[in-house]
Amino acid sequence: MTGMMSPRLLLALGMALGGCASLPEQTVRFQGLSDCPSQTPRALLSQQGNIGPGSSTHALQCALTVARETRDPVLLGTDLPARLALHLAERSQDSQTREALANEGVRLAQQALKQGGAENGGVHYYLAANLGLAIHDHPLQAADQISTLERELQKAIQLSSTVDDGGPLRLLGMLYLKAPPWPTGIGDGDKALELLNGAVDKFPDHPLNHLFLAQALWEVEDNARMARQQWNLGLEKLNKGPWGYNRAIWNREFQTVAQELDEPAR
Amino acid sequence: MKGKFLLSPRVLGALLTLTSLPQTAWSSPNEIVVCYPGGPVGENEADTAMAAMLRVVERVGEWPADSFTSIFSARSDECRNLLDSRKPSFAIASLGLFLEQRDAHHLTPIVQPRMKGATSERYRLLIRQGQFSSLDDLKGKSVSGTVLDEPEFLEKIVFGGQINPATYFDLKPTRQAIRALRSLDKGELDAVLLNGQQYAALGSLPLKSPLEVVYTSVETPLMGMVANAQTTKAEDRERFAKALQKMCSDTDGKKLCELFGVEAFVPANAAAIEPMIKLWQKGK
Repeated sequence: MTGMMSPRLLLALGMALGGCASLPEQTVRFQGLSDCPSQTPRALLSQQGNIGPGSSTHALQCALTVARETRDPVLLGTDLPARLALHLAERSQDSQTREALANEGVRLAQQALKQGGAENGGVHYYLAANLGLAIHDHPLQAADQISTLERELQKAIQLSSTVDDGGPLRLLGMLYLKAPPWPTGIGDGDKALELLNGAVDKFPDHPLNHLFLAQALWEVEDNARMARQQWNLGLEKLNKGPWGYNRAIWNREFQTVAQELDEPAR
Repeated sequence: MKGKFLLSPRVLGALLTLTSLPQTAWSSPNEIVVCYPGGPVGENEADTAMAAMLRVVERVGEWPADSFTSIFSARSDECRNLLDSRKPSFAIASLGLFLEQRDAHHLTPIVQPRMKGATSERYRLLIRQGQFSSLDDLKGKSVSGTVLDEPEFLEKIVFGGQINPATYFDLKPTRQAIRALRSLDKGELDAVLLNGQQYAALGSLPLKSPLEVVYTSVETPLMGMVANAQTTKAEDRERFAKALQKMCSDTDGKKLCELFGVEAFVPANAAAIEPMIKLWQKGK
């Protein structure tokens, strides 16, 4: 379980502007990996169910190094390499490191598509999630990527909306919530509410499903009471669930949204 | 949060630019108040967009980076407060806010956007075909739209003083035109007021009921940037206007303009704005 693409990122997309710069290809070098366990790509794949928010950063770096160095088409055709990059990107405090890892995640997902992963919903989902994170601080690059994000997330929903506890529903919902609205953009409050309600109904244990629905209820419906209800539910899930390293990251997002909910109605 | 870099190439470049530029009447960084009453944009999103736009304007206008900052509001009351408290030299204002605050803040338009070849638009009140035959039939009926946030502007300009929409209709403001149109389509609303850009895009929506226009406003100028004529010099205004005029042909600026459906920014047409001022004053 990961649950990527922060609300902050989507705020950037909300007023996403132009620019079509290609993503940089810088690779982040990790230090102190001499004690990584000896792992074959297949062994890594067989243990992928254990990789998640509770994994140590060191373990994620070791695993991503395996994915970087292998030519095994089976591993490279899965969503695991892009998922590892995304976990590490989200944990990075430094924006350049975060962007470089997210960009790598995009490349790894694109590689997976070519290596037989085109029918894997997770590959499309992690491509979109990494892409969103990569352009988070670059609104001038975002507009051209909105259609890619929409297409990849729609494909992910079509193939498997269950990945990352409704991740594709959650992210596409937020994309519709924050993108420029009709007639200039794809933004659509009704679609956002439908997707985010679906994410909460089907995957009620994921805190971000509730947090994002809270934002939609506030921004589309002006319904502060229901938004606060969802916010509370989400925070409860965050505090009680197995969210490991993501707990602190997401808690900051909860606090940001809480400030918005406390603002006077627009 | 931006990091601090001592004498980076960017900073050196900015310093060189700064020393080669003529002095302006206003201090730097200069704050621009951006008002978008009833707009579908939150403050956070708008700040991100405005920052990107201002970086382009600074570049094409050859100002040092970060010469300008912005503060945004989508609420009319807050916009008035911002104009009063911040006393900006430049602002992006709706036509309604410009007309209302023109005298108090010595506002003068410097550029207008051009969209689909026009620098003006008409507001249209749409109904389901055959539902009503005139504005008279709509008394007490529900009307929605994204442009209902400025009742005085609606009364004096959009409806030309014929009616006071705030009391004549049951107004249902929304920030999303597409929601209002879907509700109209389903019969949950009686009418929707659209601006020119929204009306022009109606064909892209898969609506079940055919719609028709029951009222069309006079032609109103599209508003862009305004300046305080007392706190800015003519050359400041001209320089800013020229930078905005270059924006839509700049590589990054073009994308930004396209996003908002703006083809170009052109010098403000005083002759088109003057009738609005008269109409506004007539309604007083």
